[in-house]
Amino acid sequence: MRKLIVTSVIAAAMATALPALADDAKPLAGQSITVLLPSPQGADIAAEFEKATGIHVDLQTLNWDDIRPKLVTALVAGTPPADVTEFDWSWTGQFSAADWYLPLNDVIDADTVADIGPSKIFTINGQLLGVPYTNDFRVMLVNTKQFADAGITKMPTTLDELVADAKQIKAKGVTKYPLGLPLSPTEGASTSWYLLTKAFGGDLFDKDFKPLFVDKDSAGYKAFAFEMMLLKEGLVDPASTGLKDSQINEDMFANGIVSVMISGEPGRLGAFNDPKNSKVAGNIAAIVFPTESGQPRSFGLPEALGIPKVSKNRDAAIAFVKWFTTKEFQQENYANGFLPTRTSALAALNAQNKLISGDALVEESKHVEPLFSQGTPPWYPAFSSAVNTNINSAAKGEITVDQAMQNIAEGAKKAMAQ
Amino acid sequence: MTALAVPEVETEHRIAGSGDAVLGYCMIAPLIVTMAALVFFPLAATVWDSLHRVNPMQPGTPFVGIANYVNMFSDGDLGRAWANTFIYVLIAVSIETAFGVLAAALINHVRIGRKWLLAAVVLPWALPAVVNAVIWLWIYQPGAGLLNGILVAFGLPFDNHVWFNDRASALIAVAVVHIWRMMPLTVVIALAAMQSIPGHLYEAARIDGATRSQMFFKITLPLIRGAVAVAMTNATVTAFNLFDEAWVLASSSLETRPILVQIYMETFQNLRFSYGMAMSLTVTVVSLLVSLVYVVRVYNTTRYE
Repeated sequence: MRKLIVTSVIAAAMATALPALADDAKPLAGQSITVLLPSPQGADIAAEFEKATGIHVDLQTLNWDDIRPKLVTALVAGTPPADVTEFDWSWTGQFSAADWYLPLNDVIDADTVADIGPSKIFTINGQLLGVPYTNDFRVMLVNTKQFADAGITKMPTTLDELVADAKQIKAKGVTKYPLGLPLSPTEGASTSWYLLTKAFGGDLFDKDFKPLFVDKDSAGYKAFAFEMMLLKEGLVDPASTGLKDSQINEDMFANGIVSVMISGEPGRLGAFNDPKNSKVAGNIAAIVFPTESGQPRSFGLPEALGIPKVSKNRDAAIAFVKWFTTKEFQQENYANGFLPTRTSALAALNAQNKLISGDALVEESKHVEPLFSQGTPPWYPAFSSAVNTNINSAAKGEITVDQAMQNIAEGAKKAMAQ
Repeated sequence: MTALAVPEVETEHRIAGSGDAVLGYCMIAPLIVTMAALVFFPLAATVWDSLHRVNPMQPGTPFVGIANYVNMFSDGDLGRAWANTFIYVLIAVSIETAFGVLAAALINHVRIGRKWLLAAVVLPWALPAVVNAVIWLWIYQPGAGLLNGILVAFGLPFDNHVWFNDRASALIAVAVVHIWRMMPLTVVIALAAMQSIPGHLYEAARIDGATRSQMFFKITLPLIRGAVAVAMTNATVTAFNLFDEAWVLASSSLETRPILVQIYMETFQNLRFSYGMAMSLTVTVVSLLVSLVYVVRVYNTTRYE
């Protein structure tokens, strides 16, 4: 009888204590947050996070180009677009000036910040406004089988070699338009030109933000003329004037319609080599971006998670940011097309031979520079718009390269004068 | 007696009239409140803000007078957007009016299945603008698009033709989608007016030996002029407000960018809110002034004094 009583008391005590212990492990269990990220994202994110923390996530995804207008309209109205949102490198200057996002210095530990190199890009005036979750820099993605079919055995290291290879692929009839290059008035067209400017050995602005691309001998001018030459030579599809980079990636490169994605995203390597998402699985590799001199150069376009100041569920939102940027989840999220931002996660994937084209990525990552050494200015979106609309107009033959460069310089001046 | 009765009747009328007036004010009060809250107050606030610098990237909202309006004159992209918009208005209003009235006249003669025909005609107008634009995006596609497919089937060299790589064809392509969506409204307005024309006018004209075209130009058109003015006003305002079609089909391309896309970019991309407000007010005034031309002209030719 005594045993029975003792056992019953212990059982009752445990029954009372266990939920309490569980509550300690998941102090925010039962809360709900909304998260707004670009599509596509992993299907299990919400379920995994809820399992780990007990916090329910309403994960909303939008095309990348559509996210910023949604954020701006909501934030101007003083309402939260979501508790956690996408925060792109190119918005940092503008969003910092508008004071819309919560500084995360006090909630993200120093080790994490140190492990995530691109955190610097999101640190404005000492305030960490976003925690980078995808390590986007530019490489070149190639269809190795199509190169082999055209009789090319060595991958290009210079821009001249790239053009020669593209002409050979076209001549052999492997693909009609070998090079994937967005020329629509969207961000992808701007970033391709920035990358080619780096590849021609130059930069967009000097330290005082004076445009460096107007002169005919400048790298920016040469890069622009190079793009128009590729189009004129029939190496780029004329319909690219209406295509975003994501459309060229998903509809053309993943279907073997183009052989090279000029401004390639390393994170997409997994999806391109997955037979469920791609008709060219097993044939896609990253190569170090060819340059005029052969000396590698690239730039970073990381994306982060930020928390709007008007978010009503800050603690749960912080928990999501922390969980999403853990080493373990970053390694797991690589399968969804997101290259880890943590050096430790990247090294672990490479050590496990899970990183596709790991050697090329590691090599390119050594040459990744910020686009603006001074930090992304608040006028960047207006400047980028001037860039991509003029690329689009020139590609349609509406204006010359000269006119386009003058227009972009004017656009930059107007943007800075705001 | 009569002299005594009149004031009593007048008083009764005054009381009754006063009661009617109160009832009338009560009945229109919800409308006045709604209009004040959703139209007049936002309009006044927009006018006020357009005279300040409203930019979330800059502290404060200092008074800048008419600077936002003056800046428009040196804005090259804005000038081009205005030019594109006037082209859209010209194409859309003329085609919607001409073909809308003709289509209404044809439907007016249909005796069997008219309501089904009308339902089919109205369908594009009932669909959201973005849905219409996406459908036409597929039609215009360079590779597998229906338009190129049909032209190629007729032996024409339109294989992989990119309609948006030429400014003229791009502007027409955007205008066509807008017309496709908005012309049904002109048809409905004109048809309603045509159905109110007394039949005996046509019978008399027929007895006098008038042809169909004479009846159309001498009876139908003059009697639906007021309705056509309403339809043209609507067509003008909606063409000035063209956004979805241009955005879906050609994004922010300079060659097709209408004024509303320019406003959207200045406001939500560059965060120059007060400049965007000044531009919005300008569009409103310009579209109303253009519409006023038809309204005044029709008023002058149809008033009965």
